[in-house]
Amino acid sequence: MSTFRYLMRDTFRLLFRHWGMSLLTLFSISAVFFLLGASSLLSLNARHLLDNVEGQLTVQAYLKAGTDLAAARDKVQSFGNIVQITSVTPDEALERLKARLGNRAEVVTLLGDNPLPPTLEIRVERASHVPPLARRLVAMAEVDDVVYAGGLAEKLSRLSSFVGRLSMAILVIAIVAAVMVLFNTVRMAVYSRRDEIHVMLQVGATQTYVALPFVLQGMLLGMAGAALAALTLLKGYASAVDVLASTMPFLQFLRDGALLARLGVVLVGAGISLGWIASWLAVVRFIRAAMKPL
Amino acid sequence: MDIRISGVTKIFEGDIVALDGVYLSVGAGEFVYLVGTTGSGKTTLLRVISREVLPTKGQVLVGEFDLRRIRYNDLAYYRRDLGIVFQDFRLLPHLTVFENVAFILEAMGVPPKEVRDRSGFILERVGMWHRRFLRPPQLSGGEQQRVAIARAIVNAPAILLADEPTGNLDPRTSDEIVQLLTSINASGTTVIMATHNQYLVDAYRHRVVEVHRGRIIRDEPQGRYMADVDL
Repeated sequence: MSTFRYLMRDTFRLLFRHWGMSLLTLFSISAVFFLLGASSLLSLNARHLLDNVEGQLTVQAYLKAGTDLAAARDKVQSFGNIVQITSVTPDEALERLKARLGNRAEVVTLLGDNPLPPTLEIRVERASHVPPLARRLVAMAEVDDVVYAGGLAEKLSRLSSFVGRLSMAILVIAIVAAVMVLFNTVRMAVYSRRDEIHVMLQVGATQTYVALPFVLQGMLLGMAGAALAALTLLKGYASAVDVLASTMPFLQFLRDGALLARLGVVLVGAGISLGWIASWLAVVRFIRAAMKPL
Repeated sequence: MDIRISGVTKIFEGDIVALDGVYLSVGAGEFVYLVGTTGSGKTTLLRVISREVLPTKGQVLVGEFDLRRIRYNDLAYYRRDLGIVFQDFRLLPHLTVFENVAFILEAMGVPPKEVRDRSGFILERVGMWHRRFLRPPQLSGGEQQRVAIARAIVNAPAILLADEPTGNLDPRTSDEIVQLLTSINASGTTVIMATHNQYLVDAYRHRVVEVHRGRIIRDEPQGRYMADVDL
């Protein structure tokens, strides 16, 4: 218990002895985590938007006249990645056409026999699933023609992949930047206390006892920086979404409170973890070198 | 704790031979002067015992510890049995006298009340209690060395290593420091003190080990006349 008290006291001494450096690190970490959180929000919103659009993507397979709709439906169902299949008989298709024509519905009587084919309307999970499904449908003997928004599906698929890669790149850059900032701060703190560390090691302090205040310092700075970033980001995001939604009502922004809270927790967790890793690397190298006999 | 050094050689980079086949045994509770000219190997020998220097050859046994094979984790526990005093004191300038002594106990996880009691007691013993709130730059050399000694003995080590503890002090203060070390030795602590102050060696009779060019050339038991020892 007393060891814990000494550790906490030394940790806060480290933080406040070089308070200017601590403050600089806090804001640097905060900026890095703000960037990280913003890129995550961009990625989440892009995913949300794509999910909405993809949810409305439908492939229409026109079957040959006389095809058994139920059998064809079962066959397509086995292809996988299918969210929903709606079977439309020629009669149902005709009714839909009439409904769409409204007052001019009588013109369909000019067609004589119902010329509309039986149809399967298929919804898939992702835009990227559309082209392979279309290829398999075209290859089916029962299928006469396949209609789908092929270009849109492929563009959405590419956009989704690009946003994913961009977020990953920002994530890697942000992690490296955060580790470097924390590493340097802790290394400076270690350097400023090098004499003390040497004396402590000479009189029998364990490596863990010497290292822990520095590690806690890194973890606290990481946590505080990430928490500041998360608060600023989520507060700013709520205001920004209100403004954007009123000016661009056709766009659906992410407003899932639980998901946003999870993002905040993940940012703070990442701050603590990166603080721990960076400070451990900084202090352990120094201690090992100090303990190495000549 | 006995110290047994057998055939220890230390060669630093550039083929500098600091110790050359040293054999030395020091029993628990002894007071030993290590004498010799500058560069003779006294400090290296002390640093071999504190395991800051690893011998190139030979064996060093201190109590149950074999210093060539000791693990990092055990090294911390071994060093708790050692007190080290340096010529340049090496006090931490931003801590007070009291804090300089107390932080050694804190590093060992001693409870706060015991830290206060033991640090206070030791500062009384070395005559520095009245200076406990001052910082090292506010003290004289002799006072700083007293604080350094207090720091070295506050954890009641079995062995006290003192490397030229009077090197920067005037004769009167040097006398006081050796008297203090002698009283510490009288309470059972083994003291090994490197010095080239012949007056002190003559005035306070203890075993004398002379080192020259990395070898022990003389090992005089306590009480022998020392005037012929060339320091």
